[in-house]
Amino acid sequence: MTVLDDLLLFTALASVAIIALRRFASISKFSVVVYALATVLLIKMSALGYGGEPVYSSFTVNVLGQILQWRFDALSWFFALITLVSALLAAFFMSGAWGEKYCKEHSKEAYGLLQVALILNVLSMLVLLASGDLLSLFIGWELVSWASFMMMALNPDKLARKAAIKYIVYAMAGAMAFLMAIAMTYNMTGSLDYVQVMQGMAHLSNSQIALLVSLYVMGFGIKMGVIPFHLWQAAAYAETPGAGAVFMGAISARMGLYALLVVIVQIIGLTRVAAIEIPYTFLDMQNVLAWVGALTTIIPTYIALKQNDARHLLAWHGVGQGGYMLLGVMISDSIGTAGGIMHVFNHATYQAALFMTVTAVIYRTGTSNFSKLGGLVTQMPLTFMVMVVSIIGLAGIPPMNGFVSKWLIYRALLLDGQPLLFVAAVIGTLGTILSVYKLVHNTFLGQLRLEHQEVREAPLSMLIPMLGLAIIIFATGVMPGVVLDWVAAAQIAVGIAPVEHNLGGIELVQGGLDMIWVTGIMFYGFAVGAIIFYVLGGKSKHIHQYDNYAGGHFLTSKVRYHYSNHFYAGLMHMIGGWYRNVFIKLEHALVSLVSFMSQFSENFYRSSQPVMLVAVVVVLALYFVLGSSGGAEVSAGVSLGGFNQ
Amino acid sequence: MDNIVLLVVLPLLAAFLMPVVARSSEVLARTLGLSVLFISIAIILNVWNQSGQIDSQAVSIAIGGFLPPLGINFYVDQISLFFALAVPVMVLLFWPWNRSTSIREYSLMMLLTASASGLILSGDLFNIYVFYELLAIASYSLVAIQGRAAAVAASFRYLLMGSVGSVMMLLGIAIIYTQTGTLNLAHLSLLAPEKLNNILGLGSFALILTGMGVKAELFPVNSWVPEVYGSVSSNLAALMAGLLSKLAVIVIVRLLILLFPQPEALQLMAVLGIMGVITGELVAWRAKDFVRMLSFSSIGQLGLVFLAFSIPGEMGMMAGIAIVLHHMVVKPALFMLATGWRGSLENLSGVARRSPFAVLLFIVLILSLLGIPPLPGFWAKYLLMVGLSSQDGSIYTLGMFIVPVAMIIEIAYLFRLVMIMYRKEGDEAAVNNPDIKVAPQSHSKWGLAIAASVAAMLIAIVLQLQPASDKLVSLASQLSDRNQYISTVFPQIHTVRMQSIK
Repeated sequence: MTVLDDLLLFTALASVAIIALRRFASISKFSVVVYALATVLLIKMSALGYGGEPVYSSFTVNVLGQILQWRFDALSWFFALITLVSALLAAFFMSGAWGEKYCKEHSKEAYGLLQVALILNVLSMLVLLASGDLLSLFIGWELVSWASFMMMALNPDKLARKAAIKYIVYAMAGAMAFLMAIAMTYNMTGSLDYVQVMQGMAHLSNSQIALLVSLYVMGFGIKMGVIPFHLWQAAAYAETPGAGAVFMGAISARMGLYALLVVIVQIIGLTRVAAIEIPYTFLDMQNVLAWVGALTTIIPTYIALKQNDARHLLAWHGVGQGGYMLLGVMISDSIGTAGGIMHVFNHATYQAALFMTVTAVIYRTGTSNFSKLGGLVTQMPLTFMVMVVSIIGLAGIPPMNGFVSKWLIYRALLLDGQPLLFVAAVIGTLGTILSVYKLVHNTFLGQLRLEHQEVREAPLSMLIPMLGLAIIIFATGVMPGVVLDWVAAAQIAVGIAPVEHNLGGIELVQGGLDMIWVTGIMFYGFAVGAIIFYVLGGKSKHIHQYDNYAGGHFLTSKVRYHYSNHFYAGLMHMIGGWYRNVFIKLEHALVSLVSFMSQFSENFYRSSQPVMLVAVVVVLALYFVLGSSGGAEVSAGVSLGGFNQ
Repeated sequence: MDNIVLLVVLPLLAAFLMPVVARSSEVLARTLGLSVLFISIAIILNVWNQSGQIDSQAVSIAIGGFLPPLGINFYVDQISLFFALAVPVMVLLFWPWNRSTSIREYSLMMLLTASASGLILSGDLFNIYVFYELLAIASYSLVAIQGRAAAVAASFRYLLMGSVGSVMMLLGIAIIYTQTGTLNLAHLSLLAPEKLNNILGLGSFALILTGMGVKAELFPVNSWVPEVYGSVSSNLAALMAGLLSKLAVIVIVRLLILLFPQPEALQLMAVLGIMGVITGELVAWRAKDFVRMLSFSSIGQLGLVFLAFSIPGEMGMMAGIAIVLHHMVVKPALFMLATGWRGSLENLSGVARRSPFAVLLFIVLILSLLGIPPLPGFWAKYLLMVGLSSQDGSIYTLGMFIVPVAMIIEIAYLFRLVMIMYRKEGDEAAVNNPDIKVAPQSHSKWGLAIAASVAAMLIAIVLQLQPASDKLVSLASQLSDRNQYISTVFPQIHTVRMQSIK
């Protein structure tokens, strides 16, 4: 029994236990303990995170001449760490007051199912991360897809159901592309084992690689929600019940990136991808993928800007940030991939924290609709603080961790000589800053609404994981070296030179980054500012929340004022014309096409002349076989002569 | 071993004796059928136990001691023995217990059993035709005997198609006979490379394929399927979709292997298979009631089967057998669930709260049908995809793109239905909506038990993947082994041949 066996077996048994115990009230405490223990088991393997040898599972299955095996390497360990910690925090988050309210609003059964969905998600992700060959990767992939579907389908709302169906159709399309790619890989290389496939890939022609890469990327890209497959994700994640959304927003969509790192980066290799020229253009396939990443940062982020619901805004951001990761990985030097992989961690931390804050707001106010919120800063100051820390991370501003990974990506783009991609990434960041401001402004700033005057701070069981995440966001921002250690080990695992780093950041001849210095100087600046304001400056006046003004008019406190409707009107006036719903129309067109073809086929099955049909079929079948075997006629004559021997 | 013949003889006798016996004793007549089925099962299990070597070496049984090619023979290998076992077992499972069934229906069921066993065991073309016709007649009558007007209309349509198909098949057999002068499969197989490897051979294959295709739900000649399945009892639909279509497929595949080595034959099957998959799934997408949805999905699955068997080589054979066996257990189980869920899909709104267990079973079954790993359906689909991508022909490439599209359509309509079942407001809507008059019927315990045991079986296979895959490999290699067939029926020829090669 290796530690990996222990971990997988433990999680599997825990799933069974949680399924069995789902109706008991103590299930929430139980599940927290489960995730904590699983995390401990994972930490036992922490040598992986610092360049240790892969841990193999002693369990293998020999099926159809294919050996399925499972193992953990540094990359799997890194993703598993994020998975388990976000599950732990999500379970903690829902174990207290939130869970009780959920039981009351829905039912005990529904709450139990949410716990079941969470553990099944964790289990399936661990199975995916542990996969040691393409077939077990596919099995894990499908398990993750269906576990996510279960989580999404728990919300009984019509909108959520629709989103879940849409998700599963997209996911199936991705899985089918993946399966096709696997089948082709098997026939081209004669194996599905990672090492043997890697060796086999060397003998393939560029056109074969191009076909494989497009199928694999389509399969993984659908899961990541990259352009043009971005339509499913936001609605599906946003409508997932609160604590579930925390987990899914943090890590579920990243499974696509994991598979991409394993298959495209590790097995096929980016040099092979870069060698594929796209005809009639000056681009190669790697550029195309990088541009897909860049567009994914831009388009969903600007769609997020238009959302009027905090959950949807965050979920659209999740899609957009996935673009950064793809972009970073596709730069293919050690800094860029480090940025891409590190962004998975950073994104998970602040996305989970943001979903938690929004869920806490929903818990207290019952809504996440921007038009019905505002001014909550006085009532929920700690939640506000967590949200501020997280959006600083999301926007990529120092000293939070999001800055480090984005800096790495920018740096790599500049070093690589990709000014256009750099500009695209900056445009994406601009959209991020605008929309996170919208988020925090519309929820917490402005004047408090009358109906929210009784609202209190989020309960402790929800605050603890939120604050914990805020601390992680800040700490890994100041000391990114902690995460960069793991990232470097993961880079070695996928066959890329590890990034040169120290505790404060990265070392680079052309100018590195030391976050300890950056933060120190920032806080030094703050301190100077504070001294100027509070010590040297004159009297300061405390302004009440209701004393702010708009448009030059002072409003009396009887009329509560909060500017949230038609936010960014000026900006929308400029860029509003760019929103054309092209992809939505494309999706509708596809559905119409299927519908049309379906009607067409149905007409055939309604035909009322069975005898004629058979006759026509026979004639056509004869025509087909006889027409296609032109050369056989001579031998037919001969054999007619040799009649009935 | 020789008592294999009883598998055909006993039910046939029972079929004709039943009405006579019923005049004196109704009870005796009713038990007669059941006891024959039990005896058949016992015989096969006995054979399987006695001769463990059937896995490696098939057996040919000359009827009445007359040796082939002049005498007629039964050919017993793993796959035919398996299907010969499946026939009485499935007839027993879907025996029309519950209603006050007329003795005629029992009699027809026995006829069905006899002809189905004969069809799968027969070692010559003429007997295959005879048993096929018997099977067809039994099934037309069983559909018509259901009594409903719709069933009679559907049966008539089925009869028209089936009988024209039979004529075509007979024509094909006639061509083969004029070409070779024999109807024994092993003998034909010996002669095929020189006598049937030509345009006439291909023509006869096309004729036989369309003829038998009627039963096998082959693409253009399957337009009877939705109406028949929609108008008969779920038991009969399960039997027809699960068993009879598969028997026809296996016979076609056997003929294909033994008699028709031409690539054009395979291509024809591939094209029809692809058309079956895509049209079946597309129409199922629009289906408004559950049974109709299942019928079209069945057409789609049979399309997959034909596509799989059209792939030359062992991979295709394995994929085909895997899909056949999988569909053979899953589709009847789904039809059993359909007993409680007849009528419009909207009727099923919120059904998950009334019968959560049935819905859970339904989800497990459709997940396997869709090919979600690690359920058995996935391995079948995986083999199919690997097989398709190993071929160069443009038809196979097309198939490789069509199959995923069909699966995506399939998941869309199946999970749309699951969502309807889990609808929250379902109960209220059912009360308020005047269009919904019929309250959903409940499932019979028996039907649920069948569905549950099929689901359990699927999960058991997942736990025993390794032995299951080994078994599949051995089934496929035996089914595709032409030389074994010939040498089993003519041991002397085999040795002569071997010597001549040396």
